Amino acid sequence: MSVSKTPGGKALDVLKTLPRITLANLRPNPGARQRERKRGRGAHGGSKSGRGHKGERQRGNRPRLGFEGGQTPFYLVIPKYGYNEGHSRRPQYQPLSLKRLQYLIDLGRVDTSQPIDLTQLVNGRGVTVQPLKRDYGVQLVEEGADVFAAKINIEVQRATEGAIAAIERNGGVITTSFYDPISLEILCKPVPFFLRGQPIPKRMLPGEDMVPFYMDAKNRGYLADPEKIQQARKELAQKYGYVLPDISKDEIHRMLAMRKDPRQIFFGLSPGWVVNMAEKKILKPTDEKLLRYYNS
Amino acid sequence: MLFTSIPIHKYVANYNPKPLKLNLKDPYIPDKSREKTPEWQKTAKYDRKLFGRYGLASGIDPAELWPSPDQLEAMIAEEKEWQPSLEKMLANIAVKEKEKAKKLQAREKLIAANMAKMPKMVEDWRREIRDQKVKKKEDKLRRDRLLAEARARFGYALDPRSQKFKDMVKEIEKEESRKRKQLKRRKKEEEMAGAAKVTEAPATPVTP
Repeated sequence: MSVSKTPGGKALDVLKTLPRITLANLRPNPGARQRERKRGRGAHGGSKSGRGHKGERQRGNRPRLGFEGGQTPFYLVIPKYGYNEGHSRRPQYQPLSLKRLQYLIDLGRVDTSQPIDLTQLVNGRGVTVQPLKRDYGVQLVEEGADVFAAKINIEVQRATEGAIAAIERNGGVITTSFYDPISLEILCKPVPFFLRGQPIPKRMLPGEDMVPFYMDAKNRGYLADPEKIQQARKELAQKYGYVLPDISKDEIHRMLAMRKDPRQIFFGLSPGWVVNMAEKKILKPTDEKLLRYYNS
Repeated sequence: MLFTSIPIHKYVANYNPKPLKLNLKDPYIPDKSREKTPEWQKTAKYDRKLFGRYGLASGIDPAELWPSPDQLEAMIAEEKEWQPSLEKMLANIAVKEKEKAKKLQAREKLIAANMAKMPKMVEDWRREIRDQKVKKKEDKLRRDRLLAEARARFGYALDPRSQKFKDMVKEIEKEESRKRKQLKRRKKEEEMAGAAKVTEAPATPVTP
């Protein structure tokens, strides 16, 4: 038996001589995989294949949960209070925690040198937003507020107070803004939209039920008065006990001050413009009426 | 060496866009004059799509990408009908809130007025219950007394539902009322007598 002279032992020697691990030479450990049993072949599985005799059990077409064979099911017999009234029509907001945001930033999947909106988050695979399933965007939640350390300009649809405080404590800026489902689809998947060759539409205003939220400076709503937002920033800093960094003297002040127009979907692109991906060109309308419509 | 110091920035991920899977060299542009071309490839929507994919090479006039004047008018009309302006929404909200506050105030007023009535109502209720109790007790006492009376009169316990007992009760009641009347009369007479004495008194000669 040859004895290795290196402190790591023989295994390290072997490891050094082995080729690099790649996808081409990886395979499951011996015994890690078991061959699937083929049912309905002679003695190994038999005629019933372990599913019993006849009926829904054998055929695997059991009725839905709660169905009682046609009799009025229990869940419909008992009258109930309307806690879940209209649940299938309520707006949904996918949660994005500060912990995950920090993770995305650390891995470089989200670029902090530019304003972060839903396009960046979706492209970085940070969140999955499905406007067709009543998703209205993302909500920033405060999990990981104590480890969050990035200076960003972020735009989300909802945010908790703690999350707002965590971002502003680091000298960042946060805005909550509304996107109607069509604009949201365009914002999440810009390239398929550009391939459709249509002008970028105007972003719609929120409905009457959501206007108070987005007009409120406490929520950093995009329709709120900027002066009131400054006031609210100071108040929040006092409440959470941190010194509000002065952004106006920051070297990235221009980036931090960037905000979208309430009718704008993308940063730097106005409604009414057509983006052509193949030629890398932007086409702008010149007609007076069109301009008036898209700029109103 | 297997383990070397690796500059981290090389391993930081960045956005890696999907390649645009478009046949830009030999694009398919349908011939609209041919009959075999499917109808859906002759629509304005498909034209826009072609332009979106291939740009000017598609041969589509860029002016057609935007809505025509008629379409624009329809869009503006629709927006006017279905999308109220921010000012309008704010006014609506203010009206609704005012109504809500009014309703709440009215309710609070009603509750306050009812609460002010509360102590008196409770007192009334307590008194009523007390009176009922007293009355019940008295009734019971009277009934026992009558039964005892009947027992003393007839020598055995009478059924309170029997005619005999009822007659006796009637008789007793009559007697009682007569006694009461007598008492009243006597009282009156006494009073009269007293009054007469008072009137007579000044008539007595006063000794100088």
